[in-house]
Amino acid sequence: MSLYKVAEHIFEVKFNTSANAEKSEPVLLENYSPFKLEYQKAKPVFSLEIFSEAFPKETTEETRQVDEGQEIICGKTLDGNFTFSFFCDKRHAGTLLCNTDFNKGQLYFPQALESIKLQTFALNNSLMVLYALATANMQTALFHSAVIKNNGKGYMFLGKSGTGKSTHARLWLKHIEGSELLNDDNPVVRITEEGIRVYGSPWSGKTPCYKNESVALAGIVDLSQAPYNKIEQLHGIKAYLPLLYSISGMRWNKTLADGLHQTQNTLAGNIPIWHLDCLPDKDAARLCFENIKG
Amino acid sequence: MKIKNGFVLRDVCGEQVIMGEGIGALDFGRLLSLNETAAFLWKIAQAGDFTVESLANKLCEEYDVALEQAKTDIAAIIKEWQTVGVVE
Repeated sequence: MSLYKVAEHIFEVKFNTSANAEKSEPVLLENYSPFKLEYQKAKPVFSLEIFSEAFPKETTEETRQVDEGQEIICGKTLDGNFTFSFFCDKRHAGTLLCNTDFNKGQLYFPQALESIKLQTFALNNSLMVLYALATANMQTALFHSAVIKNNGKGYMFLGKSGTGKSTHARLWLKHIEGSELLNDDNPVVRITEEGIRVYGSPWSGKTPCYKNESVALAGIVDLSQAPYNKIEQLHGIKAYLPLLYSISGMRWNKTLADGLHQTQNTLAGNIPIWHLDCLPDKDAARLCFENIKG
Repeated sequence: MKIKNGFVLRDVCGEQVIMGEGIGALDFGRLLSLNETAAFLWKIAQAGDFTVESLANKLCEEYDVALEQAKTDIAAIIKEWQTVGVVE
């Protein structure tokens, strides 16, 4: 059993004996090592147990999400628990079973599955799903975003897959002095008494950038590709909308949707949110930085 | 008529907005902003089956408006809801 702390929320990961994990465990959990806790008295917000055996329950499909060759089929068991089946390039990588309190998960790798790549894919997705669900009502949001740290402040770039979030972050690293990548794909944002902060996580897409650090969130930029560079600040519903599309969650569950909605309203009302039409060039990064640095 | 499953009214940064959140409404892909009257009507319509007449009666109880005018206004609002597909 191992404990991890991401954005101050603790979770537990354990391998069932069926998983035969002596060899694979260190590899599967490599990106989690900066977040590992040796000892913790506090109760974890969720725990995940990993099995290597056939999924034991009958399920019905509710909806599916497809993104760049990756697919998640969301469903339910007959007794009302939630299921998530993960597919990468049409190959089944695993199925997650999650209780209705969103604090216990079981991940089942297909028995014949020996591909570490697919197992990693299913494990990372399972932990992201559980994390997003377990913390949705704790003023916490797991974003789809690239984050740059500059002068002790965090700047987040949003946009649909393929828009160029990572590309824009790279342009900051190259052209804006003092920039450092905090996370390239899935940072966590929390509203705390000390302010709104953005945290690195063990999930960072294709870029290995697993930083156990946080900074004050100073700006959020929604990106679109365009044949020119132009930036404007967004307000009200227009500021809320990119947050809605960039925060992970199971919004067809009312309790979770209520929690995320509150977080989104707080962020839209307290963090400057911008829209940047941009080319993938130095001027885009400079224009963005000069406007949002405050 | 009734509101389709999965659509909810939320306060987004001080504005009344319809969002598609439930299974079956996830493809809505937009937010529908409501004025005060439309938001009032939506809250009544959430209770179950409704008609132009049933909403008009409620509206006249709450606001100082003539019944015929209320029916015309409500018919226009419902037409918009039908166009974007939030009622059935």
